[in-house]
Amino acid sequence: MTRLSNGLIDRSSPLTFRFNGTRYQGYAGDTLASALLANGVQLVGRSFKYHRPRGIFSAGSEEPNALVTVGRDAQTEPNTRATMVELYDGLEAYSQNHVGPLSHDIMAINDLAAPFLSAGFYYKTFMWPKTFWEKLYEPMIRRAAGLGALSGLPDPASYDRGFLHPDLLIIGAGAAGLISALTAGRAGAHVVLADEDSRMGGRLLAEDGIIDGIPAIDWVKTTLDELRSLPNVRLMTRTTVFGAYDHGVYGAVERVSDHLAATNGQVRQTFWRFTAKRTILATGATERHIPFANNDRPGIMLAGAIRAYANRWGVSAQRKAHDRIAIFTNNDDGHRTADALSKKGLPVLAVIDARPDAKSLGHYQTFAGSYVSDTRGRKGVNTIEVTRDGQSQWLECGVLGVSGGWNPNVHLASHHRARPIWDNEKLCFLPSGAPVGMSIAGAARGQGTTTQALADGQHAATNALYELGLPVQSHPAPVANDEPSNVAPIWHMPSRKRAWVDFQNDVTVKDIKLSHQENMRAVEHLKRWTTLGMATDQGKTSNVTALAVMAELTSQTIPETGTTIFRPPYTPVSMAVLGGGDTGANFRPSRLTPTHEWAKSLGATFVEAGQWMRAQWYPRAGETHWRQSVDREAQAVRANVGICDVSTLGKIDVQGADAALFLDRIYSNTISTLKVGKTRYGLMLREDGQLYDDGTCACMAEGHYIVTTTTANAGAVFQRMEFARQCLWPELDVTLISTTDAWAQIAVAGPKSRQLLSRVVDEFDLSNTAFPFMSCTELTICNGLRARLFRISFSGELAYELAVPARYGAALMEYLMGKGADLGVTPYGTEALGVLRIEKGHATGNEITGQTTAAMLGLEKMVSTKKDSIGAIMSRRQGLASETRRLVGLVPIDTNDPVVAGSHLFTTTADQNLKNDQGWITSACYSPHINSAIGLAYLENGTDRFGEEIIAANPLEGQSIRLRVTSAHFIDPKGDRLRD
Amino acid sequence: MTDLTPRTALGATAARNETIGAYLIEENTELGLASVAIPAETIPPVLFGLTLPKPGHLTLEIDGKFAIWTAPNQWLFATDGDAHQDCAALVKSKIAMAYITEQTDAWVAFKVSSQTSGQINTLLERLVNLPETATDTGKATRTNIHHMSVFVLRPTSTQVTFLGPRTQAGSLWHVLETTLRQQRANSGALS
Amino acid sequence: MLIPHPLLGLRDAQEFTYLGDATLLNRPDPQSETADAAFHDYVYLRDNPAGVHRELWFHDAGDRSWLVVTRDTTTHEILGAELARDVKLGITA
Repeated sequence: MTRLSNGLIDRSSPLTFRFNGTRYQGYAGDTLASALLANGVQLVGRSFKYHRPRGIFSAGSEEPNALVTVGRDAQTEPNTRATMVELYDGLEAYSQNHVGPLSHDIMAINDLAAPFLSAGFYYKTFMWPKTFWEKLYEPMIRRAAGLGALSGLPDPASYDRGFLHPDLLIIGAGAAGLISALTAGRAGAHVVLADEDSRMGGRLLAEDGIIDGIPAIDWVKTTLDELRSLPNVRLMTRTTVFGAYDHGVYGAVERVSDHLAATNGQVRQTFWRFTAKRTILATGATERHIPFANNDRPGIMLAGAIRAYANRWGVSAQRKAHDRIAIFTNNDDGHRTADALSKKGLPVLAVIDARPDAKSLGHYQTFAGSYVSDTRGRKGVNTIEVTRDGQSQWLECGVLGVSGGWNPNVHLASHHRARPIWDNEKLCFLPSGAPVGMSIAGAARGQGTTTQALADGQHAATNALYELGLPVQSHPAPVANDEPSNVAPIWHMPSRKRAWVDFQNDVTVKDIKLSHQENMRAVEHLKRWTTLGMATDQGKTSNVTALAVMAELTSQTIPETGTTIFRPPYTPVSMAVLGGGDTGANFRPSRLTPTHEWAKSLGATFVEAGQWMRAQWYPRAGETHWRQSVDREAQAVRANVGICDVSTLGKIDVQGADAALFLDRIYSNTISTLKVGKTRYGLMLREDGQLYDDGTCACMAEGHYIVTTTTANAGAVFQRMEFARQCLWPELDVTLISTTDAWAQIAVAGPKSRQLLSRVVDEFDLSNTAFPFMSCTELTICNGLRARLFRISFSGELAYELAVPARYGAALMEYLMGKGADLGVTPYGTEALGVLRIEKGHATGNEITGQTTAAMLGLEKMVSTKKDSIGAIMSRRQGLASETRRLVGLVPIDTNDPVVAGSHLFTTTADQNLKNDQGWITSACYSPHINSAIGLAYLENGTDRFGEEIIAANPLEGQSIRLRVTSAHFIDPKGDRLRD
Repeated sequence: MTDLTPRTALGATAARNETIGAYLIEENTELGLASVAIPAETIPPVLFGLTLPKPGHLTLEIDGKFAIWTAPNQWLFATDGDAHQDCAALVKSKIAMAYITEQTDAWVAFKVSSQTSGQINTLLERLVNLPETATDTGKATRTNIHHMSVFVLRPTSTQVTFLGPRTQAGSLWHVLETTLRQQRANSGALS
Repeated sequence: MLIPHPLLGLRDAQEFTYLGDATLLNRPDPQSETADAAFHDYVYLRDNPAGVHRELWFHDAGDRSWLVVTRDTTTHEILGAELARDVKLGITA
C-alpha cells in the first residue's frame, strides 16, 4: 500500500473494484488510476505496436498509456483512460492489447521485430506482393490493430441532449476559470462553468498552494460555495467542451452517470450544445516529457502527475514504500514535485536536472547538468542510468518523474484555424487568435502561475462583462504564493536506443529521424508517416516535443518547422451520445396516417415511405403470399369498390386575390380558367424545364384552391411555392398554408364507388350530371360531418376522394366498410394502388425522376405557351424539345416471364451496349387483369412502336427478356370508366 | 351530431394524460384551430377581443380563445374546448378581409405543467435549442424538436404547450415522455 | 451557426434549410428577346465567392420566411439578414 494520509478522498467510503479480475480497494474520490497506484499496480497495459509494458503516465485527460476496458458484456467501454474513470463500487476494468496475461503478452515479440515496424512501415512493408494484401496483410493488421474491442452488442444505455444559451461560457474551472465565473456571476451574467473533471478546481486540487493567505483548496471551496449561491451561475462538472463551432456554438458532453454503480434511470451522458455570447477558455496547461532511452516503462510518469496523485488523492506512485523516486527535469516545476514529495516523507532519490546551474528548492539531492540516459525493469522501472559529462552510473529507482515544461491547452482556440505561435521565452505555443467571442485566460495562454491565472481570469471576465454591457465591479484579484517556473530548451536526450516521443502510437525519436531522412518533414507528413499524435490522446503529451525534435534534425527553429493545429473533439466522444439518444424505430420521427390504428387492427403489413408508415396490403385468412392479397385488392377495385387512405398526399391551401394568377405561374398548365367546383390535373416543372411534380388543383371558391402534391414531394413543393410567393412575386396577394395533416383523405374507387358513397353523404346528388368527373365540393356526410369530395381517379375507375377532419378518418373507414359490405368493399394498400396506376399508365416518382420532360409522358400540351410559368422557357430549349423517348407499356411475350424495373431496352438484333440503348423500364408489377407481369417504360419514339418486340436486358441478373410494346394504358385507354 | 366517433391523434378514443415526476402531461383534443392570414400591408384585425400578437408571441387567453404569431401577416387562432366546431367558419363569421384555413386537426397539442417555472425551463433545455427569452411567458415560437417542427407556447410560467404535426403525434409523445422520465431520474438523483 | 432572423432574432441554423445564391431572386423577364440565354444563366451560372456572399435560407422549422443572408464564406461571419420579400420589393429596413 502506498496511500498517504492526506488527499481529497472520502476515507469513510471504501469502494471495491476489480482490475483483470483481481479485487482491490479504493475510496470515493479516487480515479481508477489513483486507486490502482494506491494498490501498487504500475503495469496497466501494453503499447499499440510493440506491446511494451505500460503504466499510468498522467493524472488527467491527456493520458496516452493507461487505456482500459471498463464494464462487461453490453456495457463494455473500450479505450477508456484510467485517469478519467471515477471509481465506483463494483467497477470492473480490464487491460487491453495483449494476448495471454498482461504480464506475459505473447505479442511482445513485436518488440523484437521493431526494426521492421519503423515509421511508415505500413506503406513500405505491405506494398509487395500485391496479392498478399487482401488475404494476408489486411486480416493480420485488422487483428493486430486497435486497442480494446467493442462488445458487438447493442448499447443498453440511454443518452439525451440539451441546449443552454449563457451570456458567458467558461471552459475549465481552475484558478482562471473560477475567478472568471465569480467575477461574471457577481455582476449578474448568466454563466455556465464547465469542467471535464469530477471536481472543480483544476490544477489547484493537485497543488498545496496558498491563495490570499488560505490554502488554495479552501479558496476553491469558498469560491464554489459562493458560485453555487448565485442562481445565474451553472456549474457543470464532468462536462467536456469538445469543440468550438461558429457564432459561439460549443459542443460538450456531460458524463452524467458513468461514475455511478447504478444509473437509476438516469442517462449515461448528455450531449450539450452551448450557444454563448462570450466564452472564456481557461483550460490550463499539460505537462510535456523529455524523451530518453527506454523512457516508456511503467513507473516513469509526468512529474506533475506524481505530485497530483500525492496531493489530491493521497497516493504515492511507488509499488513499495521503500522504492525511491527520482525526477528528471529541465525546469523548476520538476523541483516542486521533489519538494512536495520529500515534505510528505517520501524517499526522493534526486532531481536530475539537465540545466548545469540547477539548484535544489528543498531537502533533496539535485544532480545538475545531468540526464537520464537509460532505464531498466521489465514490468516497471527499477534502475535508471544517470549521465553527467559522459560519466554514467546506475541507480535504483522505482518511480521516475519527468518534466519538460508545460504546454498551454490551446486546442479550442485553434478550432477555427487560428495557428498557435511559438513563444521563445516561455518555450511553448501560445494561442494567436481565437474563435469570435472567445478570450483565453490563465495557463492556457501562458499565464501559468496561480497569481497570473487569477489576475488574467478576472481580467478576461471583466472584458467580457464590458462587451456584454453588464456592470463591472472591481475587486482586487486574489494573490497566490507560487513563482514562475524557468525552463531550458532541452527537448530530448540523444541515444542509440529507442526513446519514445508518442507513447500511445509507439513513435520514437528514431522514427522522427527516419521520417526526416525520408523527407517527410512537414508536420502533417510527419504525423501521417509515423502516426504521431493520432488516436485517443491526439498527441497531447507528444506533439510539441516531436516538433522540437524535428526542428533540431532540420537545424531550424521550432516556428520554422511548423505548428500544430487542432480539430474537434478535444477528447474522444462516443457516437451514441452524438446520436442524442433515440435508437431503432425512434431514431427518427415517423408519420402515421389517420387510419393507422385501424389498419393495424386489420393486420395490415406496413411499408416505410419517407417518414410515413403506410398500409402496404391487408392479408386475409388463407392468403399465404403477398401477391394473393395484392391481386385480390386490385381486382376488388376493378370489379366492385375499394377504399384506400391517401392522406399522405400533400395538401396546400392557396388563398388570395391573386391565387389563380399565382397558380398559373406555378403550374405549367393553366389554372385561372378553372371554375369553382372543378378540379384539374396539373404539372409543375423545375425552372430548368424538367418535370418536377404532378397532382390536382381544386377550386373550392373564388380565390381559394387546394393544391395536392405527391407524398414524397409535399414538403419540397410547399417550400418552392413559398419561394415563388416571397422571392419571385411578392407583389401578388396570395397566402399558403400546408394542411396535409388536417384531413383524412380516403380514395373510394371502383364501379360501385358511387353506390357506396350515396350511403354516406347527407342528401347530395352524386349523379354523373350533377357531379361529373373532376368535380369537387364541400358537403356533409354521416349526419352533419363537414367533408370535401373530389371526383378524381388514380386507378382509372370511377373514383372519388373523400376528405374529413383527421380525427374522423378511422371512423369513416369503419363506416365505409360497414355500409359497403354487400358491395364487396375492400381496403387496399399501397401495393395494389401501384398495380392500379401502372395498369392505367399513371406516372409517379418512378417516372418523374428529374430527368423527365412533359412530352415523355405524352403531356406536352400541358406546358402552356400562352403564359409564363416556372420552367416554361427552359422546357423549350432544344436539348429537351428534341427528347424522343415516350412512355409505353410492356408485356412479356412469354407470359411467365418477369418484367424488371431498371432493365434497359434494346432492339432484338442489337448488341446490348450503351450506344444501342433504347430506353428503360420505370415501373413493373404483376397485373391480375392482364394475367402477366407488365411494365411502364420510356422508349425511343415509343408511341410509334406499339406491337414491336423488344428486349429488356438486366445484365445484373444475366436476363434478356422479350417484351411486346403496348400503350401505357393497359386498362380503359379511352377513359370511359372514370367518366361514367 | 355526426354518426362517426372521433379518434385522438394518438389513435385512441380518449385523450392521454400522465404524471411523470414533477410534471403532468396532457393531450388537449379540444383545441379548435384556424390560420388567419391577411394581405401584406393591411392592418391586423381584432378577433374576439384579441389583438393579434407580434412575432414570437401569443396573446393572453380571453374566453378560452387565444392567438399565436406564425409568419409575417399570419396567425394561428385557437379556441379551447371547441374542436368539434368548424373553427374556420367561426373566424370567417367575424372578419372579412382575411384568408382563413381550418387547422384543428393539423396539430396535436400536448400541455406540460409543473409546480414551478424552473421545472418548465429545465424541461425546455432538453427539448429546444432556444434562449430562455424565446420561451418566456407570453411567447410562442416554432422550432425543431428531435427533427419535428413544433410550436412551443408558454401561456404561463408553469405551463408549456407543444403543438406538433398531428401525424407525428406518436413520435412527439415519445420524445416528451422519454425526456420527462429522464428529468424524473435526474431530480431523483439530485435529492 | 446562428442566423439573425430579422423578426425573431438569432436562431440556430438547424431551423433553416439552405438554397444558395440570392441572385435567384432576379428571375429574368420571360418576354425578353434574350429570355433563352437569360434563363440559361439564371438556372446554371452561379458565383461562388471566397468572401462576402448573399444567399437564400428558408426558415423551415420556423416562420417559413425566405431570408437573404449576407455571409462571408471564408469566416462564416454573418453580416446581415433580410426578409427576401423585402429585398425583392426594394423595401429597406
